[in-house]
Amino acid sequence: MTVARSLPELLESMRDRGLRRGVDPGPMVAADPLPTGQPGLDVALRSGGWPRGALALLDAPTGSGATSLALGSLAACQADGGLVAWLDPFGRLDPSTAARLGVSLEWLLVVRPADPAEALELAGWLTRSRLIDLLVVDLADAPPPRGLERLADRLADLLLRASGTALLLSGPRGAEAVGRAAGVRVALQRLAWLAVGEDLVGQRVSATVTRHRWALPGGRAELDLWFGEGRRIDPLLRSAATPREVTPASAAAPVLPLRVISA
Amino acid sequence: MTLTRTRTRTRLLALVWPALRAPDGPDATTLDAILDRLDDLSPRIEAVGRGVALLDITGLEPLLGDERRVATRAVALARQVTPLPIRAGAGDNRWLAVLAARLARPSTPDAPAAFHALPAGATAARAALAQLSLDLLPVDEATRQRFALFGLTGMGQLAALPRSAVGAQFGVPGERLQQLARGIDPRPLVPRRRPERLNLEAAFEPPAEGLTEIALTLRRLAAELCDTLRARHLAPGRAALRLTLEDAPDLRIELALPEPVLEPDWIARLLIGRLEQAARARQPATQAEEEPRIVTIGLAFDRLANPATRQLPAFEARVGRWEELRWSLERLTMRFGEGRLWRASHDRPSASLPEHRARLVGL
Repeated sequence: MTVARSLPELLESMRDRGLRRGVDPGPMVAADPLPTGQPGLDVALRSGGWPRGALALLDAPTGSGATSLALGSLAACQADGGLVAWLDPFGRLDPSTAARLGVSLEWLLVVRPADPAEALELAGWLTRSRLIDLLVVDLADAPPPRGLERLADRLADLLLRASGTALLLSGPRGAEAVGRAAGVRVALQRLAWLAVGEDLVGQRVSATVTRHRWALPGGRAELDLWFGEGRRIDPLLRSAATPREVTPASAAAPVLPLRVISA
Repeated sequence: MTLTRTRTRTRLLALVWPALRAPDGPDATTLDAILDRLDDLSPRIEAVGRGVALLDITGLEPLLGDERRVATRAVALARQVTPLPIRAGAGDNRWLAVLAARLARPSTPDAPAAFHALPAGATAARAALAQLSLDLLPVDEATRQRFALFGLTGMGQLAALPRSAVGAQFGVPGERLQQLARGIDPRPLVPRRRPERLNLEAAFEPPAEGLTEIALTLRRLAAELCDTLRARHLAPGRAALRLTLEDAPDLRIELALPEPVLEPDWIARLLIGRLEQAARARQPATQAEEEPRIVTIGLAFDRLANPATRQLPAFEARVGRWEELRWSLERLTMRFGEGRLWRASHDRPSASLPEHRARLVGL
């Protein structure tokens, strides 16, 4: 026979499950999230990946691994059978790099809009088709055009309605304009280079979830982004690589005589 | 001439467009349009390759006159489609007709067409070929050099040799070349199947102004054609819209569909989209004038195929979704213009430079 519990008991049991104020509720899983390609970031997001319906902003200075992370997310999405698109207004996508990081070029739609504003408009069109699982819009570090905020708001609204997901890659200038519309915001910062001897094979970045509409923000993860074979990185290389401290002088470019191994 | 001999005698007309054979020449649709027009002359037409067509003109002499007149008629029909220069040749078989076209020389340098006929009958044809160089045979450089080593330079010399001797020295390909040198080519003409095309037309009285007025009519025409095709288990692969305008040249819009479909709404919407695009392109030239009014609208469906026979995406779900996506991309192209959509191709994975290993290909 089931005994109805009193309200205080129910509240107490909810508190025990982590909903008490100020207590980290632990990882929550959103409905059918898209994997980021980085298990650490999936956990830090507390939603099991990029939530469906989210406009996610990767807030990263140039060279902090935002492109690699986005390509890894595309590859992971494709591995689950998804269709993906890369909107590239500045022609920065290198198909070879994408392929090397595990993206199946056969199922990648590349869109070359005329400018960032058109990129967001095109992203809206593709979202409405409900056939693309993950969109990446590479806004680079270009100055935001007039009306970008309104377009980003509109895209976020469309994504929510169509359960699509879009990643915005933007430098600090663009991030200010579209940051308000983003449901998820992840800040990337390079912590160290990963090197084997004199060869640079990757970089270690910190990813901090600074905003999350579907879960508690504040999660942080350290991600190892490899220049080499992406998701198929050699385990021996992974174990042999050692972190090299990033100095202010080497933050933008590796210090000689280190060589970048990416091919 | 006996009845039996009359029956067995075949005359073929070869038409060659040197400009169409060029790698950067007009695309295959031009030749298709020409062949459609040449259907009026002969029901047996074969597209041999890029820029070469063969017509069976057997028995046309009593109707149209001698072979030169028939060729003139064919050239006139072809030039209604495109004014490209033509070389025409007549012969008893494929080889002789195409060779005659190669031998045709225009009377003046700027003449639009040239015609040459090789005589009818095996003996006469062999005699005509005897004077010609062996270089005209479809032969590779090594074989040509071997012919030269044997002192063979003319077709007559090769034709006069015993077949067994040619076979012993040059094998089966040599025997085939000797047959050609004798004017014998057993390959028959394989007539193309005339592509089926369904047309429907409607007139506006008074003439329609603007696109909104014709959208409903276009939807109705598409629905009627789709109903006809549905009953035959067929679907169109291409739709062509023709608008007859008042005091302006006709406007033609063609839409190649990603796959044969029976969706009148979609087809009409896509055509209207293309039409709006074409109207926008015409706008600057006619800004001062009024928009021309539409007198008639014609819709044609061709490239008919059974939609049920297309391969289903049984093993890869993404194939079906990608095909579906292509419809959206078609609309996207119309809205934003060409050159936006690309697909990456990883065609040289072993290239030494990473940037050469993959490239973007327009969709």
